[in-house]
This record gives sequence, structure tokens and C-alpha cells, in this order.
Amino acid sequence: MKTMKNNRFWIGSTLVITMLVFAPLAVAGQDSASSKAKKADPMQVVRGAKAWKNNCGRCHNLRSPKELTDEEWDVSVTHMRIRANLLPLEADDIKAFLKASN
Amino acid sequence: MKKTLFLTSAIAVILLGAIPAEAQTNTSAEGVSSANQALLARIEKLEAELIALRTSVQQSAQTASAAKETAQNAAKTVRTVQKLAKAGAAGAYSGAPSDAKWHLAGYADVGFVGGDMPGQDSFVTGKFNPGFHFQYKDLLIFESELEFSTTSDGATTTELEYSQFDIPINDYVTLVAGKYLSPIGQFQERLHPSWINRIQGAPAGFGHDGVQPTSDTGVQLRGTVPVGKTRLTYTVALGNGPQTTFEGGVKLEGVGNDDNSNKSLGGRLGFFALPYLELGGSYLTGKVSGYAPPVGHEEAPVTIAADVPVGSFAQDNARYTLWGMDAAYTKGALAARFEYLNSHRAAFFSPTADAPAGIFLPRLGMKAWYGQASYRMSNVGSSDFIHNLEPVVRYGEFRITGHDVLREENAQNRFNVGLNYWLAPTIVTKAGLEWRDFKVAGVPSETLYQFQIAYGF
Repeated sequence: MKTMKNNRFWIGSTLVITMLVFAPLAVAGQDSASSKAKKADPMQVVRGAKAWKNNCGRCHNLRSPKELTDEEWDVSVTHMRIRANLLPLEADDIKAFLKASN
Repeated sequence: MKKTLFLTSAIAVILLGAIPAEAQTNTSAEGVSSANQALLARIEKLEAELIALRTSVQQSAQTASAAKETAQNAAKTVRTVQKLAKAGAAGAYSGAPSDAKWHLAGYADVGFVGGDMPGQDSFVTGKFNPGFHFQYKDLLIFESELEFSTTSDGATTTELEYSQFDIPINDYVTLVAGKYLSPIGQFQERLHPSWINRIQGAPAGFGHDGVQPTSDTGVQLRGTVPVGKTRLTYTVALGNGPQTTFEGGVKLEGVGNDDNSNKSLGGRLGFFALPYLELGGSYLTGKVSGYAPPVGHEEAPVTIAADVPVGSFAQDNARYTLWGMDAAYTKGALAARFEYLNSHRAAFFSPTADAPAGIFLPRLGMKAWYGQASYRMSNVGSSDFIHNLEPVVRYGEFRITGHDVLREENAQNRFNVGLNYWLAPTIVTKAGLEWRDFKVAGVPSETLYQFQIAYGF
């Protein structure tokens, strides 16, 4: 019984702290992402190349952009966005670079 | 008179004309016959040539007809391809990709391991780890990885390495649910795939039966928060947590159910001091209960002999705590890494059917660390062969207290040197030496020769 109470305390505490910390960031993040996504940015590919080199090369060799199709890069970069804790805009830049280079 | 002369002359002329003709007819009667035969033969020959010519013309007409039909089909095909290409291009440029997309990834390796101990020389099948990523719009991605390998007796093993839903909540928070690779440290979550790992195996203490958790089942919140010009990465995980093993150790693999309803809480904080220097700290805590044997295997856990009065330590469960730190310097051709993990489980009585009061399990302490450096010789000389070489060195230690059997099997200093050759950015051949110096009296040291080819796809 004591274990269950202790368990609920941990779960509840974690969820509350998470919501308190990240709720403001969530709103700010959605605003920034949506407003920037609407604008075409000619420098996106350049930023993407830099982000690709700095982030992907941190753990493994850089894959050739020609290894995958556009659609496969969409999924692969989304997967790596989670695994490598990338910012969404950073991941979008990397996708733009890879699609422009494959 | 004149009339008579005229008639006479006319008759004479006729006669003069007829006499040679008659004479010719008579003299060439046999020649006429042979000329006719020659003429007939020539006519027959001409007829044969005419038939042959007619046949040839007919065949040419048929060929021309077939060629025309082929050309028409080709033109039709070209029109179809043009139509499809136009439709494809229109779809591509309209920015209307599929809602559901997927990607097959993973890695595989094979190799050879030799050593100075009897029976150590073996070709090894290595592992085949297919990974699946399924994405629906930007709503979620489901990802999973299996691991197939062959045991020493020929059996094929299959393990679910991870199987998780990733649901981005916003730019800074992603919810992960399912069985996930442990976010503790860097090696397990990012570096263990054989095409990424610069050495054939894991550092001592960072593989199975080590201090490094391999996976857990539960939920995570993870993401990145920009901090000035740098950023902070975080992972907070709530999982089923560790369990007690049959040997009395701690199992740190994702299990399908929680044996004590006590969830573990852990995670990692990472910070980029420089764009190429990442520093991290990890923590995990949870409670373990006594060994719960699978149905049909109701044996007691391996007894850790100790004359300890019942009641002097906790009954049924004990606190498990792990902390660690890691650093990675990755700039240009040089990659240097360091990780340290330290865990302990409090002493407790693990109850069994034969000993309801519990078998005493002393305080179990495990700690491991390693340092590794690799250098890709891409800027050395002008030879492509040299550019693809990558020497690597790693040293690590693994220590265990409170469990003699685990200590004899695993506690060691491990030193690796190796030389890798990259056939492609995701295909590597590795040759290396590994020295294992076991830290228990009577356990001989080992030297291993390792070769491996690994491919990440």
C-alpha cells in the first residue's frame, strides 16, 4: 500500500512539474514555428547544410543525401529529430538541404 | 508497156525479198529451236526472280507493318510516361506528399573473433537489426527495431530492441511511449549500433549485464530548449524500472510488466558548452523487489551466503539508484568520448517459496567508465586509401561489489586498439585487439583478435 502511494506521488509529481515547466514553452513554440513556416527562406538550404554537418556528424558518419528519396528523408529526419533532440526548425532546414541535394 | 514493166518490177522485188527470208528459215531451223529453249529458260528464270521479288516485297510489307505497330506502341508508351511524369511532377511541386510515409533502416554485421583461450576462434554471424519508421503527417512517428542473432548452438534469437510512439507536442516537447532505448548516458541510445560503434563490442559494463541500462518500458518527455546561443537537451522517463535477476543482480532491460508497481524515474540533461562539445548528466532511481521466477521455474535465486539476522534490513524491496556523466568532443576528424556510470542497490531480503523470510542480498555496487578516441585520416596525405583509415583506442574499467559471481564474470579493465577502414560512409571494416584484465584472483586475463564488417542502411 505504501509502495502504491509512493508510486502515485512520483507519477503525479512528474506530470505536474512537466506541465508547469513546458506549457508556456509549448504555446511559444507553436507560435514561432507556425509563423516562420509560412515564409519561404532562400537561406534554408545553407542553414540545413550546416545543421546537417554539426548534428548528424556528432554520432555517426554523414550519409550521402543521395541514399534516400525525399519521402524517406522526411521520415528519417523526423526519427532523428526525436533521437538527437533537434529543434523542429533545425530538422526542417536539414530536410530542405537533403532534398535539394539528392 | 509501162504497166507491164511496173508489174514485172514489183514481182521481182517481192521475189528478191522472199528468197533470202526463205533461205534463212530453211538454214536456221535447228537454231530456232535452241533459241526458244533459251528464251523459255530465261522466262522461267525471270518468273522465279519475280516470285522471289514478290515474296520479298510481301515480307518487307509485313516488316514495315510490324515496325509501324511497334513505333505506334512506343509512341503510346512515351505519351503515357510523359503523362505520368507530368502528374508526378505536379504532385511533387504541389507540396502534397503522402499522409503516411515509412522508411526501412537498420544495420547488420558479421565478423571473426579469435583469442588466446581454448575454443575462442570463431566466425560470428553478428547481428541483423532491421528498423522500421512509420510516420503519419506530422502527428506521430512509430519506430521499432528488431535484433536477430544466432546463438552458439545454432538457434536464432529475436529481440525487440525498442518499439515506441513519438508524438511531438510542440517545438520543445515530444512524448515517447512504449519500449525505448535507455536515455541514460550516450552509448546505449546513440552509439551502440555496429556501424556507429568504432570498436567491435561495447565498453566493459556498458553492454548486457552491465551497469548501463539497455532499455525500459514506459513514457518519456524529451526535447531541446534554446539557451542563448547554445541549447539544453533533456529526457525525463518514467518506466517499469529494474528488477532482481535470478542470480541476485539487477536487470536493466525493458520488461513487459512491472513486478512491484513501483515506477522508476530517470533521465538525462545535456548541454552544449561549445557546438562540438556536449556534456551530460544522467540519473535513475526506482525500487526492486525479490526475484519473481517465471511460471514453471520456481527455483530460488542464487543464494548470496551471508549470516544476517532477518529484520536487520528491508524486506521485499530495495532502492536502486544510478547516476552518471558523459562528455563528447566531436570536431572535424577527431572524436573523443568519455562516460561514467555508478549504481548501487541497497541490501534487502528477497523472499522465496522456500525461504519466506527472504534470502539476504547484500548491497550491490557497480560502476564503469570508459574513454575513447578515434581519428579519421581524411586530411592526411593525398591517398584515398589513407583518407578512409581511422585508428581508434579505448580504455575502460568495470567494478562490482557485493556479488562474487557477477564480479568474477564481469569486473575487469579493458583496453582496445583498432584500425577501421571505411568503404563508404555507412560501411566499415574493423580490425582490433582487446585485452581483458579480470580483477579477481585466479581469473586469467584474455586477449582477443576481432574483425568485423558492419553496414548501416
